[in-house]
Amino acid sequence: MSEEKENRDRKEVLGKQGKRGIDRRDLLQGVATLPVLGLFGLAARQQKSYENAQKAALSGGTKQPENLPVVNVAQIGVGAQGEVLRDAMLKIPNLKFRAVCDIWTDYSLKRTVSTYQRAGHEVNGYEDYREMLDKEKELDAVVIATPDFWHAEHAIACMQAGKHVYCEKEMSNTLENARKMVLTSRETGKLLQIGHQRRSNPRYLYCYNKVIKEANLLGRIVTINGQWNRAVQESLGYAKRYEIPDAKLKQYGFKDMQQFRNWRWFKGLGGGPIVDLGSHQIDIYAWFLGALPTSVMASGGNDYYSTATNEWYDTAMVIYEFQTEKGPARAYYQTQTTNSSLGYFEKFMGDQGTLVLSESNANAVNAVYRESAAPVWDEWVQKGIVTAPKVIETTDETAALLDVRESASPDEHKIPVVFTDPYHKPHLQNFFNSVRGLEKLNCPAEIGYETAAMVLKVNEAIQAGRKLEFKPEDFKIS
Amino acid sequence: MISLVVLRIIIGWHFLYEGVYKFQKETWSASGYLKAAKGPLAGLFNWMANTPDILTVVNFMNMWGLTLIGLGLILGCFTRLSAIAGAFMVALYYFSNPPFIGYFSSTALEGNYLLVNKNLVEIAALFVIAVTYSGRYLGFDRILHRLFTMMKGSKGAEVKGATA
Repeated sequence: MSEEKENRDRKEVLGKQGKRGIDRRDLLQGVATLPVLGLFGLAARQQKSYENAQKAALSGGTKQPENLPVVNVAQIGVGAQGEVLRDAMLKIPNLKFRAVCDIWTDYSLKRTVSTYQRAGHEVNGYEDYREMLDKEKELDAVVIATPDFWHAEHAIACMQAGKHVYCEKEMSNTLENARKMVLTSRETGKLLQIGHQRRSNPRYLYCYNKVIKEANLLGRIVTINGQWNRAVQESLGYAKRYEIPDAKLKQYGFKDMQQFRNWRWFKGLGGGPIVDLGSHQIDIYAWFLGALPTSVMASGGNDYYSTATNEWYDTAMVIYEFQTEKGPARAYYQTQTTNSSLGYFEKFMGDQGTLVLSESNANAVNAVYRESAAPVWDEWVQKGIVTAPKVIETTDETAALLDVRESASPDEHKIPVVFTDPYHKPHLQNFFNSVRGLEKLNCPAEIGYETAAMVLKVNEAIQAGRKLEFKPEDFKIS
Repeated sequence: MISLVVLRIIIGWHFLYEGVYKFQKETWSASGYLKAAKGPLAGLFNWMANTPDILTVVNFMNMWGLTLIGLGLILGCFTRLSAIAGAFMVALYYFSNPPFIGYFSSTALEGNYLLVNKNLVEIAALFVIAVTYSGRYLGFDRILHRLFTMMKGSKGAEVKGATA
């Protein structure tokens, strides 16, 4: 470029040089890029609002109002599960613990009475629940965590004595008794919450209300898959010095100490792993689908343990068929007690997305995956319903593997709910707030009955070795 | 020339974002970045991270430097100074984690193509901004330059008058 041309260009660009004042053109060109700052501010504000929405969604826990009226509480059954409930309840304010009842007076009863005393509650210990109900007139509510075959008698007696009841699942080991519990609740007008605690879990409520109902991120749920896998476990033992005399055990329906400790595995007392573990998750299948199953088929058996110590099936693989409003759906569930692979979770697969959910904080995925053909979820990320998708780096290996028959891997969006309380706390809280008249039960007896009807049928299906149908009236109590 | 203004604004936007972001994030500090430094100057950067007084200065200069350079480039205000200072800062980032062959970094590197990475491209672009007059075309420099030449002009006239 010649010097002359360069000067000419420069003149053209910068305008007339030399001594002259600032004209309007100079001012305009001088501030011409100022609007860019406005644009930057606008963009930054928008971004900030999305971040705030995400943060708000994260912190959106259940806040308890203060100064709630005190509820007087007793516990019947304070074995392993009773202790879990006790520890969760001790974290709930405005509860007064007054009595504890357990037939293992030398061990379980002593432990829980002293735990409550250490926490500043004056509790009385009882072996016989009838004596407790006679003497403890102040009670508002009773929390029952006895073996399944005792639930009906305990819950019915408490409701008839005018107490509201929180009863562990399975509601009962027979549908006949479960039905009596529902009817008693209706007759006495007392609340009966069944311990399917995922129904009050903030993460599950969030997924149901926001992810499935509001945003419909899954589209139509066509299949469900879930499991609870456990590692091999020895039978539960006991210390000799705490042994309950045989006569007393027989009086309460147990053959011996081994059966007393391992009642979950015995026919007539519990329901085995499918009832203990599966019940929680199969309950969620029906809740999220908004439907009850039309049939069940199952394979299972005593594949590993001796029937002398473990009467119920140690392995069960189940398929339910549902008719939902949107069309048919099939749900698989497995529980096995010989390998703990992948722990426990539920996976809901719709034509637009997949939701993988677990109560467990330890090995949980808790994410939604968008099908590559589904509309983008930017709107829901902006509203904070799900997090922005995880960036997946393509490696040489995955690039080489992906061929035309494969679908592109779906985007992973996390569920923005952090839940660090004891698992049972929100469900108990919902119960106590319902006793105070502030909330409605998340799992009233009728729902507990539906779940019991769904789950108890699995053991029948395994025994029958064929598909069993459900009729709508199987779930109804008139 | 308009394309140079666009280039200047885009780079300025990037600087401004990096600066403003660090102000917003209260816990931000350069220490993690400095500690993760690799390459021939790693020792120097690590020393900065481990010397609290120096780190405070580094943090301060980063936050204000990035923001002011960003504003300067977008508004075309002290464009040449902003561009050179910006190139210097990015050069520091470039050398803290240089994409030299044989160094392996655990920090995520954006665009890394054998010696050349995003930082190096930005440095080169800033040199183009520094040697052209985009600020005097569209930007505050146009006004500043006029004021400056006017002042110089009148000063020159006064001197001339005095000697006459």
